[in-house]
Amino acid sequence: MSYGTVFDIKEFSIYDGDGMRATVFLKGCPLRCKWCHNPEGFDINPEVMVKVANCLHCGKCRTTSCAVLSNSKCIGCGDCVNLCPQNLRSISGKKYSDTELIELLNGYEIFFNNDGGITFSGGEPLLQYEFLSDVLDGVKGKSMIETSAYAKSDVFKKIVNKLSKVYIDFKVFDSNKHIFYTGVDNAIIKTNLRLLQDLGKPFIVRIPLINDVNDDFDNLLNTAKFVKGGNLVGVELLPYNTLAPAKYPMYGKVFTENFSKPEKILTNVFTDNGIPVKVL
Amino acid sequence: MTERMSRLRNYIVDHKHFALRQSQDVFNNIDISTYRDKNLSHAMRVAKRFELFLSKEVPVFLPEERIAFTRTLPALPPVLSEEEFDSIRATGKYIHEKGFVTNIAPDYQKIMSKGLYALIDEVKTRLSNAKKQDKEFYEIELITLNAIVDFALRYKEEALKQGYLDIYQDLCVVPFYAPKTFKQALQFLRIIHFCIWVEGEYHVILGRFDQMMYPYLKKDLDNGVLTNETALEVLEDFFISCNKDTDLYPGLQQGDNGQSIMLGGYDENGIDTYNLLSELCIKASYELKVIDPKINLRVNKTTPKERLLFASKLTTIGLGFPQYSNDDIVIPGLIKLGYDKADAHNYCVAACWEFIIPGVGMETVNISAMSYVICANNAINKYGESCKNIDELTSAVEQEVKEYTKVLLDEVYDIYLVPAPFMSLMFDGCIEEAKDISLGNKYNNYGQHGFGLGNAVDSISCFNHFVNETKEISAKDYLDVLQKDFAGNDEFRNKLVNYTEKFGNGIDNIDAIASRLLKAHSDACLAYKNSRNGICRAGTGSANCYVVSSTRNDYTASADGRKKCDFLPANYTPSITIKTKGPLSVVKSLTKPDLSNNINGGPATFEFTASSVNSDTGVEKLALLVENFIKLGGHQLQLNVINKSELIKAQQNPEAYRNLIVRVWGWSGYFVELDKCYQDQVILRADYSL
Repeated sequence: MSYGTVFDIKEFSIYDGDGMRATVFLKGCPLRCKWCHNPEGFDINPEVMVKVANCLHCGKCRTTSCAVLSNSKCIGCGDCVNLCPQNLRSISGKKYSDTELIELLNGYEIFFNNDGGITFSGGEPLLQYEFLSDVLDGVKGKSMIETSAYAKSDVFKKIVNKLSKVYIDFKVFDSNKHIFYTGVDNAIIKTNLRLLQDLGKPFIVRIPLINDVNDDFDNLLNTAKFVKGGNLVGVELLPYNTLAPAKYPMYGKVFTENFSKPEKILTNVFTDNGIPVKVL
Repeated sequence: MTERMSRLRNYIVDHKHFALRQSQDVFNNIDISTYRDKNLSHAMRVAKRFELFLSKEVPVFLPEERIAFTRTLPALPPVLSEEEFDSIRATGKYIHEKGFVTNIAPDYQKIMSKGLYALIDEVKTRLSNAKKQDKEFYEIELITLNAIVDFALRYKEEALKQGYLDIYQDLCVVPFYAPKTFKQALQFLRIIHFCIWVEGEYHVILGRFDQMMYPYLKKDLDNGVLTNETALEVLEDFFISCNKDTDLYPGLQQGDNGQSIMLGGYDENGIDTYNLLSELCIKASYELKVIDPKINLRVNKTTPKERLLFASKLTTIGLGFPQYSNDDIVIPGLIKLGYDKADAHNYCVAACWEFIIPGVGMETVNISAMSYVICANNAINKYGESCKNIDELTSAVEQEVKEYTKVLLDEVYDIYLVPAPFMSLMFDGCIEEAKDISLGNKYNNYGQHGFGLGNAVDSISCFNHFVNETKEISAKDYLDVLQKDFAGNDEFRNKLVNYTEKFGNGIDNIDAIASRLLKAHSDACLAYKNSRNGICRAGTGSANCYVVSSTRNDYTASADGRKKCDFLPANYTPSITIKTKGPLSVVKSLTKPDLSNNINGGPATFEFTASSVNSDTGVEKLALLVENFIKLGGHQLQLNVINKSELIKAQQNPEAYRNLIVRVWGWSGYFVELDKCYQDQVILRADYSL
């Protein structure tokens, strides 16, 4: 029996894989990409989310007996959720046992047919790899994953073997730049990508494309040359989401960066190297 | 789309043809006593009014159009005065809406296959052989048909005079003789349609257009008269013609005019009838992006994937087309209600969703609307304190549903309809038996929609949970909170709103409540007989009821957390304000009840934001959703694509958004032409889209 924390289950996810599909977002991530639009994925623990824009500042949420009042950190107990007259508060992050989550997800089995299934995303789903592994063992349909591949190689390999397809992020080729923008070195990611190629598992490389960060010819060319090989299905480019900052205030976080969409998307770098490419 | 078609489309959408309309003054000095004469039968009045109207109409042509007939005059006053309608009511008769025949599907072939000259000869023969009491029927038909002939002859002459030779050539054949080409058939259909509206009927259904018109198209293709491309263009001419006069048609809002077409379908032998014309219709709608005709598609579990992909592409442009109906559920449902097998296989859709059979029904499919919410509120008020569990609560609401349904139906037992001589020519047996369609036909059923189902189910679930399970509140206090419309009880209301055991989350024991309430409604409807020996069909549509509920005092707060006057959801959908787990859970919930019992129609409705589905992948997923919905036993499906920020901008700056189309209830309309309450409801729905 293992336990994990999930911050969302999105039914009928359109861009997360084949067939009729639901995406499970596992909470917690070792990376801190400066452009991330899912700040609720950072921390592994449940936390309170507040739609602050409509807050009346009435103070009702402060009438709980929880720890926040004594100035300690919010533990996501949820006592304050129903107090808000505007119903602006909710808890992001729910604990499941592996069996609970499997039962819930297998409720979607009637939709799966030949292609459908569950995609595990995050956060970084491999952060809760024991839980993920147990859930994968019981879940029906074609399972997929969306990962940064920032995990130990034995863990990575063990999980990949249970999947039908892998979406792997490859954010920046240059390791110093990678450290600067995501907080971690990409050496392990590169190793795991090679491993993925060797395993022969179908995979799609996803690149969040940000103006003046990674949309230049050199980065994309290095990336194209590096990812080509094994059972690469193609590359998907995700131009920067200008709504990225939207969720930060809801989690009491501040988005300080000033990114923008790429002015020009150099898809030909990939096609010239024989790699199918899509812009999402 | 060809450049000519693009120019013609823009001409209509920009309302430039309004300049061709005659001044209202034409009617100012008109003597309506010629048809309001008290000594005339109602049918004769209709014919006289029709004749008078057509005599005042003037043939006009839009630049570059190839299918003619455009209204230049608004409607004449009704054939009966308000006082006369009141005196009919005083005899115990029910007058539905405007009193005219409405929302039925004619069998156009009954006229088209003959042509007016042959039809006039037939009526003359019948007149000479008729019994005394039937003679007036045929005299009235002759007045009507001759009026159309005179009018069409004037159109023909004017076409020649103005140099519309293409139209002139077609008018040398139709409507006088049976059409020889696809284009002539379309021109004929346009003339018939034009005349029905003039006669006074409204919500004029186009029916199984692809089945009716395909033989003409096929002949032209075989003979090399048309290619697929030129056929598409001429079809688009016809589609455009359906948009010329819509502002003159009666309806609750502009666009609510019932010009629906039904494509495809499986016949009695299980043969798929979808044809090249079905496909061209979807393509024409995709290219033209106008609100008429409204596209419906019949599907079943064997419908090829490519077809669903093709149709889903139309969905993504946001017209709210196509609406799907599932033959696997609808046909057995109709047969269960007593429809002949052949008729059941020939169903099309009424103005919005109701499944009707062309040429054989004088059915009033929207006779009234039954509110599940009101039933739930009444039941909880009366019996909430004594019900100890979900089963008892549900039984109490079932009883309310049955009683309320009967009360509503007893009010409409004996319907009176204004005669419709021209329309009668397109219905089973009317001309043979000298019987006006308004007096009834092969099928004389009513349809009653039930709406607000989700809120009723959720009310039962919430009330039971907080009173009987957690015992957090007493039934008495709960009722008190509702009475006060949650004033001072925000925290409790939040708990109700945030409670997830609701309809739409795919939970078996909750969805079972919905099944029971739907069955209670259909049982109550089936137990009913109207004065014409018709039954009532229960449905799942809402029409404008969801907006009406926001203005009526009897829509008090409900136990699911809904405040007084909050909007209800449109059609067969979960409550508008609950955050469901998502479309898969909603599909699971909606397809659990046996919907073949509630076959008056009313679609499951899903809203998507444009950005999420506007791609090949998006189209593919929409097609999968349709496929799964059908497979799991859904009866009817409506997929809408909306863009909230655009809607808000359109509200602020209507002039810049003249082309913006949204699905309202069973029809699509130009957003800026809707009343604000409807605009607001569409925007609210957008909040809950994917």
